[in-house]
Amino acid sequence: MIIEFIAMNGYGLYVWLSFSVVFISFAAVYLKTRKTLKKYENEFLVELQNLTVEEKNKALENSKVAQQILAANSKIN
Amino acid sequence: MFKFFSSSNIYSLIQKLINFINSIFFLILIIGLTFALVLSPPDYIQGDSVRIMYVHVPAAWLGLACFSFITLLSILNFVFKIKNFYFINKSIAPIGLLFTCLAIITGALWGQPTWGTWWAWDARLTSMFVLMLFYIFYILAFKLLNKEELIVKVSSIIAIIGSINLPIIKYSVEWWTTLHQPASIKIVGSSSIHSAMLLPLLLMLLVFLLYAALIFLMKYKTEIIRIKKKNIKRI
Repeated sequence: MIIEFIAMNGYGLYVWLSFSVVFISFAAVYLKTRKTLKKYENEFLVELQNLTVEEKNKALENSKVAQQILAANSKIN
Repeated sequence: MFKFFSSSNIYSLIQKLINFINSIFFLILIIGLTFALVLSPPDYIQGDSVRIMYVHVPAAWLGLACFSFITLLSILNFVFKIKNFYFINKSIAPIGLLFTCLAIITGALWGQPTWGTWWAWDARLTSMFVLMLFYIFYILAFKLLNKEELIVKVSSIIAIIGSINLPIIKYSVEWWTTLHQPASIKIVGSSSIHSAMLLPLLLMLLVFLLYAALIFLMKYKTEIIRIKKKNIKRI
């Protein structure tokens, strides 16, 4: 029964290859996108750390995005 | 009105949406795959090769939908000059290219057992190939040009010219004699697809939509961080 399911009446190669191509591509693009996002988050945090305390406080005060990135990162750590 | 489009408002919404999609994606994927690969019946002519439809059709639809959306936002950006539309388009284009490439590849894998050939230069296949080229040109405009104003102009021109191809793709199977079958699903009028096949198709469309939304949100979030990083000294 399992072999019949895999063989798909002779169309197994085409069906499984189609689904594999789609979901492997999905996984690859997802991982690449996540890696880029993390890279920019880390670079942003490094830039923030390089500011003086006064500049950093001002940046956090004026930017909700900066607050959220910092908060998310401190949760992870 | 456009205060809603501020990056800080959007940023907090994006994170909530990413978490929501992550929480439901795999459940819907498993249900979709179960219907597509196990529960749906084989076609009386094409046999089990018809199951390729469950990945081919959503990929093609989303490839077309992404380009339509890009064209619409390009026009709106010309009129209203909303900077966010530029970043939305930049984030959508690679997703549209991915889906268009997948539609072409899975189409070839479906074509071989059904038509006896991987590829033919018929109207539907060629117009999809042209769409892929427009996506490549569109993305290259962002990669190769430096000035944002120039990128907006060039990419909008590519999008508007490329949009002429969209009705050609849609009606190619009616205007010309093609290997590709006519549409089985119609928004207006009765569809010729059985509900036992329509349900898995809609479920897989939902999976693809969620995936597209997830990648778009991640890419858009990256764009916001990139801008904030550039402007950090000015904050």
